Amino acid sequence: MKVIKDISIPSIAFALARVPGSNRLLFGGSDFKVYDLDLSASKPEPKALGEHQSYVTGLAVSGKTAVSGGYDGRLIWWDLEARKQIRTIEAHTKWIRKVAISPDGKVVASTGDDMVCRLWDAADGKLLHQLRGHAEKTPHHYPSMLFVCEFSPDGRFVATADKVGHIAIWDTASGKQVKTLEAPGMYTWDPVQRKHSIGGIRSLAFSPDGKYLACGGIGKISNIDHLDGKARIEIFDWQKGEKIHEHADNKFKGLVEHLAFHPKGDWLLGGGGANDGFFLFFDLKSKKAIRQEKAAMHVRSFVLDEKAETLYAAGHGRIQIVDLKS
Amino acid sequence: MALNQRLCGSPLHAIDRRGFLGTAVAGAAAFAADMTQLNVLQHPVLAGELKKQQKRCILLWLAGGASQLETWDPKPGAPTGGPFRAIPTSVPGIHISELMPQMAKRMKHTCIIRSLNTRNGDHGGAAQLMMRGRRDEPNLKYPDLGAVLARELGRRDSQVPDYVSFYFATEGRGMSPGTAGFLGSRYAPMEMYTSMVPENIRRLDGINDLDHKQRAELRDLLSKQFADGRASSSLGSHNEAYQRVRGLMASEKLFDAAQEPQKIRDRYGPTLFGEQVMVARRLIEAGVPFVRVGRAWWDSHGENFETHQELVPELDHVMSALLDDLQERGLLDHTLVITLSEFGRTPQINPSLGRDHFATAWSATLSGCGVKGGSVYGKTDAKGQHVVEGEIGAAQLFATIYRALGINHQKNYYVGSRPVPLTEPGTKPIKAVLA
Amino acid sequence: MRFIRLIPSLVAILCGPSLVRANELLPRNLPLEQVIDHYVEERLKEEGIEPAPPAGDANFTRRLTLDLAGRIPTLEETQTFVASAKADKRIALVERLMNAPGFVRHQATEFDTMLMSGTRGSVRGYLLEALAQNRPWDLVYRDLMLPDENDPKRKAANEFLRQRVRDLDKLTAEVSSIFFGVNISCARCHDHPLVADWKQDHFFGMKSFFSRTYESGGKLAERETGLVKFKTTKGVERQARLMFLTGKVIETDTLKESPGSDTKKGKKTNAKSTPPPAPPKFSARAELVKLSLEPGQRDFFARSIVNRIWHRFFGYGLVMPLDQMHSENAPSHPELLDWLARDLVEHQYDVRRLIRGLVLSRAYARESRWDKGEAPRAAVFAVARVRPLTPMQLAMSLRLAVTDPQTLSASLKSEEFDKRLQALESSAGGLARRFDQPGDDFQVGVSEALLFSNGSEIEKDLLADGGDRLLGRLKQLKNREVAIDLAVRTILCRPSSDSERQLLADYLKQRADRPAEALRQMIWALLTSAEFRFNY
Repeated sequence: MKVIKDISIPSIAFALARVPGSNRLLFGGSDFKVYDLDLSASKPEPKALGEHQSYVTGLAVSGKTAVSGGYDGRLIWWDLEARKQIRTIEAHTKWIRKVAISPDGKVVASTGDDMVCRLWDAADGKLLHQLRGHAEKTPHHYPSMLFVCEFSPDGRFVATADKVGHIAIWDTASGKQVKTLEAPGMYTWDPVQRKHSIGGIRSLAFSPDGKYLACGGIGKISNIDHLDGKARIEIFDWQKGEKIHEHADNKFKGLVEHLAFHPKGDWLLGGGGANDGFFLFFDLKSKKAIRQEKAAMHVRSFVLDEKAETLYAAGHGRIQIVDLKS
Repeated sequence: MALNQRLCGSPLHAIDRRGFLGTAVAGAAAFAADMTQLNVLQHPVLAGELKKQQKRCILLWLAGGASQLETWDPKPGAPTGGPFRAIPTSVPGIHISELMPQMAKRMKHTCIIRSLNTRNGDHGGAAQLMMRGRRDEPNLKYPDLGAVLARELGRRDSQVPDYVSFYFATEGRGMSPGTAGFLGSRYAPMEMYTSMVPENIRRLDGINDLDHKQRAELRDLLSKQFADGRASSSLGSHNEAYQRVRGLMASEKLFDAAQEPQKIRDRYGPTLFGEQVMVARRLIEAGVPFVRVGRAWWDSHGENFETHQELVPELDHVMSALLDDLQERGLLDHTLVITLSEFGRTPQINPSLGRDHFATAWSATLSGCGVKGGSVYGKTDAKGQHVVEGEIGAAQLFATIYRALGINHQKNYYVGSRPVPLTEPGTKPIKAVLA
Repeated sequence: MRFIRLIPSLVAILCGPSLVRANELLPRNLPLEQVIDHYVEERLKEEGIEPAPPAGDANFTRRLTLDLAGRIPTLEETQTFVASAKADKRIALVERLMNAPGFVRHQATEFDTMLMSGTRGSVRGYLLEALAQNRPWDLVYRDLMLPDENDPKRKAANEFLRQRVRDLDKLTAEVSSIFFGVNISCARCHDHPLVADWKQDHFFGMKSFFSRTYESGGKLAERETGLVKFKTTKGVERQARLMFLTGKVIETDTLKESPGSDTKKGKKTNAKSTPPPAPPKFSARAELVKLSLEPGQRDFFARSIVNRIWHRFFGYGLVMPLDQMHSENAPSHPELLDWLARDLVEHQYDVRRLIRGLVLSRAYARESRWDKGEAPRAAVFAVARVRPLTPMQLAMSLRLAVTDPQTLSASLKSEEFDKRLQALESSAGGLARRFDQPGDDFQVGVSEALLFSNGSEIEKDLLADGGDRLLGRLKQLKNREVAIDLAVRTILCRPSSDSERQLLADYLKQRADRPAEALRQMIWALLTSAEFRFNY
């Protein structure tokens, strides 16, 4: 894994998206702004498109439109050509954690800590469905968080996952829940030393054939003041409702913030970190981590190009472009 | 009348008549001590006065260091501000974190102090400092707030405990145990670590209630003869301790949350912290002068926002329930509710999205008795890195707390012949905070 | 009369405590107890105070056994003493107790408390060995201040420094307090507001002796050079010298800052494998030890230990508080303190000798009851003080009190007897941790009363039945009165009074349907009575 480029950015980037078939990245993060980054420039410099009223945590792109979400509970549609806001929707009553767009570009999914995933018409912003099924409170009576949503490769389904390790899969068209899965290993409640919890499923990815669903987070932690637990991935044959594998990394500790499959399913890549960062390449057939690499920073999000030969990673104050072929 | 003679005869208890009936501060402790001579029941007016004047204190001890930026002193939009926004409160001009919507509606009771600079970012040392208002000296172990208030506000023959402390989490427990310091065991806290039933408060199965009572009376009678001709305050304290046992055993009910109507229990919510704060209200209502409820553990070196997103709404909810409850019972005017940690958290956000220890510019709050509710004292800069106005340390905070409770913060205790004032000489309470 | 009394005090104030008023003191070759009684009774006479009569035999046995052996006497020990008609029986009792192994164990506990309370460590292991040899107190002091980490016998003494090495202000203040009877910590920030003797120079002067000490790789070490600087209240920066409390300065060219100082607090260097750093050629600490024991300088040292031991046995020092031995806080009996200090120095700092003298005096042996109105102030020693038992005294005495006295009879060989005592001591250790070490004006906390009233360890352990227990024995006795008297004698170490027997008999009678229970409750009431809890 060779770092091709290291670009300094003014914030902690939580959300990263790539305009398909282009050298254009979009990111957003702790300075509330949504940025545009043209990598083909000799000295790529982020240019702000606009801003939210708090941290930007979700970004997704379809064609010439991008949708961002933030802690202000809003979704903003952006016209990427005109570089302008199209519309703003008060989408959630609490903090938005993730935004995803269906592969056909027609449906936008957003999750927030109001524990609802909402599906929106990508073209006009109309609310299509409200997916309710995640508990608002943890079993220990504290407010829960709904961290992530992802579409299946055929767009028929959308999966959501929360703090306590509960996963739900929904039919995109009808909004009905079709399956639930449990990964409680992602949630640590400390009843003795610190009496609060940490963890949660932070990332989801469907395999290219749609059969498997991977989720990422952090395993059991003894000292929940720090991200002091093994990086954790669990993989389900989701239609059967069966867990086929749990991976607790033997090298790295921290959160698996983002997951992506190789387009042919050769491997599953997880990126994340604690105080440092990591990349984990996981092989489903052998059920093993085939590569474990230290990353230069806690990876908050990453995207792969179409051939999965180049990786773009974002985190605290930088975006890195990494050549995966090497 | 013999009253004056008995109370004012001793040079140690120089209280004048006005001081006795009024809210004179200096007489408070002597006052309590002399209750053994005065039969209060014969003077209902005085009994009523007594009850009204008895001040109490509940300390919500946010152990581990709660973030001021995610609670009382938000800096939304600053690079150090984090993702949570600020919301307006019922007091125009005062904003607090969006994580505290319920307290925002009730700001009128609370004074926020935003300008603490206590210079100690180590859990143990800082906890010692913030529980005592000062650091121990090599030859002098100071009593903490609870022990001082137990002495100043408590009664010698009290049938309820003087100082109760809840700390059920194990993290940080050893760093801030309650301590009576040079005031001695009499003022040591009843520490509740694992059970809502105080240790040794229940009669054992092997003895029936009548025997338990009469056994104690037998002990008293046998001890009486020994005390004849042997004046010693140590000796006296031994008998006093035993005389309080039956009353303390009866006070077990105070610790039982199930005694409260479900409606009230629901208000405080289903968490342990909520239950313990409700029990704290029961205790002070019954006359316990000081209760500390330790809510550990706020030390979010990683995932600061997730941790505060979990814990701050609980604080918001429970504190609101407490203030409402106290007010409805007419107790808020005589009860001081404090939120305090050993320090705050860094404006700087680390790679684990955590905040680290920070004692340079942080917050505490005082609500209720003797303070100017609906106010803010002190100011920090735009990023929350320094205090720019009204900087205070632990000493001034404590002086303010004592004054709010009607206690002279320069009053002297004596260790041997050395006078030890409650706060360092020259310490001034914050006038702007006091009602 | 009063005015003449004042003159020595005036002289003392003007000339400081180191003036030897040899011509004022009683001659050297008198027994200590005679000297003590002379001065104490002289004062009582001057003030027209008739002291309390001597404590009765049973009372005396109990007090002495608690003070010398750390426990109450057994039934037979008391009875034997009371019954004896020998004229010198008190002396014999003192000697017996001081020669028994329990004496060293108890003194080790007491000195350990004096030296180590407020730290998390203990030097009791070292003290057991040292006190068994009656090691002179100045050598004990030397062992603690300059521990030889290569000598297995003396190594354990290093805890004294190790527990304090990370906080040199604490070390300075505690050495001054414990060994010199002086609390100078106020003088760290300003000249002492109340005491003219102590200026900042004194605090930092003392600290200079310690500032070069540090810990490295788990071993104590000391640098060759060091310089303490401080700011006066006027903001002037000064450099401290190696100055002792008397003002005497050690001239040295080592007053410079050390290169590569690694005294960062809390910085632990890891290796247990690193050898201890070589001792410095010039050791400031060693200089302090030497200086503080020199003629003309050693008054602080000698007077402090005399005062502390006096305080332990009388419950009130000749100077109070113990760490306020300065010219504005005169001893209650200045000549007595001087005489005892001189005697100690001239007898190689023999603390056994001092203790023996104290307990043989009439002053020590008085009644603790005062029936004539308000008692005179403590400083005239007209009446014995009521003193709370220490945690170990209490725990050990509780264990003893519930043991069947027949198992500890005088017929036992002394080794066997001591073995049984040791067994009781080791089982008392856990219980002792439940109690607080009493300071002056000790206030019993309610948690202690609750522990005894409702604690299962008290019920199940202390009040358990069994072959070797008092309860078992009482249950066998058919005569209620005999049982009651046995209980009182065993637990309170004296015969029961008529009214007590009546009271207890009534109590037992009311519970004739549950006699074993009733006996347990009676034992409880005796164990938890004020009389048991205190040394009187």
